[in-house]
Amino acid sequence: MSALETLLLVLAIFGVLTGLSVIVLSLIWLERKFLGRMQMRMGPMHVGPFGLLQPVADAVKLMAKEDLLSSLVDRVVYWVAPLAVFVPTFMIWVTIPVARDLVIRNLDMGLFYIIAFSVLSIVGLVTAGWASSNKYAVLGGFRAAAQLVSYEIPLILAVLGVAMLAQSMNLEEVVNSQSTVVYALVQPLGLVIFFIAGLAELGRTPFDIHPAESEVVGGPFVEYSGAHWAVFFLAEYINTFAIAALTVLLFLGGWLFPGISGDVSALGVLVFLVKTYLVILVVFWIRGTYPRLRIDQLMSLGWKVLVPLALVNVVITASYMFYGWSAWSLSLMSLAILGAAIWGLSKRMRTAPTPEYTVKLYVPAPEASNAG
Amino acid sequence: MLGNLKGLMVTFATFFRKPVTYKYPQEHKPIEDRYMGFPVLMWDEKVEEPYCTGCMVCVRYCPTQCMSAVMKDNPLHAEGKSTRRKIVDSFEINLGRCILCGICVDVCNFDAIEMSHEHELSKYARNDNRTNLPRLLEMGRSYQKESGWKPKPVKETKPEPETKTEEAVEAEN
Amino acid sequence: MVDLSTEGQLDTVQMMVNMGPQHPSTHGVFRMVLWVDGERIVDLEPHIGYLHRGSEKLCEGELYVQIVTLFDRMDYISNLNNEMIFCRAVERLMGLAVPERAEYIRVILCELNRVASHLLFCGTFGIDAGAMTPIMYAFRDREKIQSMFEAVTGARMMHNYIRIGGVKGDVPDDFSQRMGALLKVLRQGINETDKLLSFSEIFLARTKGIGVIDAETAIAYGMSGPSLRACGVPMDVRKDEPYSVYDRFDFGIPIGEKGDSWDRYYVRVEEMRQSMRIIEQALEQMPDGPTITPSRLVLRPPQGEVYVRGENPRGEIGVYLVSNGADKPYRVKVRPPSFCNLMAIKELLKDTYIADAVVILGSLDIVLGEVDR
Repeated sequence: MSALETLLLVLAIFGVLTGLSVIVLSLIWLERKFLGRMQMRMGPMHVGPFGLLQPVADAVKLMAKEDLLSSLVDRVVYWVAPLAVFVPTFMIWVTIPVARDLVIRNLDMGLFYIIAFSVLSIVGLVTAGWASSNKYAVLGGFRAAAQLVSYEIPLILAVLGVAMLAQSMNLEEVVNSQSTVVYALVQPLGLVIFFIAGLAELGRTPFDIHPAESEVVGGPFVEYSGAHWAVFFLAEYINTFAIAALTVLLFLGGWLFPGISGDVSALGVLVFLVKTYLVILVVFWIRGTYPRLRIDQLMSLGWKVLVPLALVNVVITASYMFYGWSAWSLSLMSLAILGAAIWGLSKRMRTAPTPEYTVKLYVPAPEASNAG
Repeated sequence: MLGNLKGLMVTFATFFRKPVTYKYPQEHKPIEDRYMGFPVLMWDEKVEEPYCTGCMVCVRYCPTQCMSAVMKDNPLHAEGKSTRRKIVDSFEINLGRCILCGICVDVCNFDAIEMSHEHELSKYARNDNRTNLPRLLEMGRSYQKESGWKPKPVKETKPEPETKTEEAVEAEN
Repeated sequence: MVDLSTEGQLDTVQMMVNMGPQHPSTHGVFRMVLWVDGERIVDLEPHIGYLHRGSEKLCEGELYVQIVTLFDRMDYISNLNNEMIFCRAVERLMGLAVPERAEYIRVILCELNRVASHLLFCGTFGIDAGAMTPIMYAFRDREKIQSMFEAVTGARMMHNYIRIGGVKGDVPDDFSQRMGALLKVLRQGINETDKLLSFSEIFLARTKGIGVIDAETAIAYGMSGPSLRACGVPMDVRKDEPYSVYDRFDFGIPIGEKGDSWDRYYVRVEEMRQSMRIIEQALEQMPDGPTITPSRLVLRPPQGEVYVRGENPRGEIGVYLVSNGADKPYRVKVRPPSFCNLMAIKELLKDTYIADAVVILGSLDIVLGEVDR
């Protein structure tokens, strides 16, 4: 590697880091604003026009804040944990292309690399929970471990379906192979599994079990303050962006859009960003709507629903590839299984003996009110 | 899954509705006419003196003992300008202690104390909320101006028991 | 066959978790000491008293007119209901008649307060279950009720409006119009919250069958109000022993079937609708006339004792008042509904998850100001 190449690489990494930070700031603003509007509030309004500078103010505040440290924490692990969460989330961006040829290193095993690295951040969460010497943090850390490990499996299996279709693990080729039809249409089941598992990986509503504020008060992050907490926060938002970006790349055609030539980098980046932000808005929308699942319900959803479905997805994709069935057959099968799963799940979740979900109205008879 | 979808639709529809909140420090929610803010002392513009005579009825009936008052002879009465023989010398309300119940207003026989619309009273020190007579009168005057407050028409037949009970309370004390 | 059970091989230990008094979802300053085995609660010990202000004892040192303000601050979510129960106690003791119009105003405001209280419950229950939007909708509607209170009583929460012998003053002139508009908005808002939360499958999964208590146990613990009605017991003081003018209205008592958290939630949602029915009827029937029976400022009720009960949003509230003929009561004892409901917490929380603990505690809708007094 020549000196110039190294220099370019370093510059590219700095560029990605800066870009990601800007994106995180925009996401924070977007989330607060979006949730605010959904809740008939205005969201941040005071700092800058429409509160645009609010995330900057927050960031400055967090940096300037005193780093409180409980006397019982395991210091080394405590300081390493945020890095252990942040580094993998950043590392996966090495191979995520935002437009054709616009990527730091386009690895042939890109998908494999991403999955391998994203698993690592679990370690950070568990150690953060453990080192904080706080019971809520411990509970949250263990919740995070259980949740993230179990949801890696459906996530990987869903990615596997795409890799099979594209015959490649190189993200650029995955996108290129979607030039005729996006995989969201070919594999709706895979998209749903990937998105749900992705939400769980992020720890976002309805799967925000490990930071659950009303239960474990922020989980692994409860003892962190100031800049260290900000690093967790940064990692969380970069992860959100990464999952959305992967959804776009794997299922929604990346930077491809009918009528827009993907050869122009700037346009490609624009298309990619628009798609990614739309996916992120869905994530925020879900956050503004749903309550949280319980840990055992989350685990049974993962192991009893998503993993079998993901396996079925792999099987039907494999049969489709092996027998060379026509293209729409996979979509139909995928949709049918998805519909059946949703139907079964809604049957299953309404566990009450009576289908009528309401309370009765007791009106005592006028002549004899024998209540009590 | 129908319930979940309905929920999504509700939040989606709400997204396009107007926010109901106020940009608080710049914008305030309008206050209703009857709003009971901090008690203030009223200013008799005819005679240019407070209505309050320092009779201490409010002080006695205050559930939190947040007031104190001192009475003095009214110099204006000596000059013949005022009908009040006694007038308030000093008056203090600890607004930090006041619970805005309005009992002082109910018991006052002279329309001297009113619940103003003043309700924001952040202070830098704990004792800064102890409001003295000039400040109370100033708040009262601004309230008078703002709300067009007029003293109630002269009360017909004062209820007899009240005076009696005051004496009774005094006797007890 | 490989023995996969870790029974007796792994050294497991129960962990003690102090939930509260600073925990965000213990609804105030309630503290539970939980012994958990992983996520499962093995044992718990509730601690109360962090908000103890000695209200009952304070009552003994205050004049009757001043005690109303103390009752305002007991159950600070349903102030008017609390004021009313105390005033009724004193009126019963003195044999003081309350003008008809005052009774109607009291009923309207109390029912409105019930709606406000239940709205707050729906929102906080959503938060307990992890949904962050319902509380915003609930507060949006509750805010309108608070503005209405402000227009009538002059205060948003601590009203001191219901006085011994009536109410402080007549309602404003545009009261009925404003109430009509308010009820329309409230109906809409409640339907919205209902659609958003009540039938969401995730919410159902979190609350259905969680914290089940059967009617006998609930009665044995002295539960009352929506928490008891969720078990299918149609006990409502407004119907059983109608006070004020409640016997003139046509309304139903929502009762649940299973006595789980969802029933406790939905009984309250339905109760809001019934309350609004009461308000509508009361607005129609409201007669003209005086709003207070004039009485002395320093009341001296005759020697004696009285117990009155009424229906608060949280359940049956009772006031036991002993007078020795002086201007201050000899003893005031309050039977607080949320304290009695909270008694069953140990029964309800055994063998549940920590996440359920939050939901169950939320479904009881306690107000610590009243539990600790």
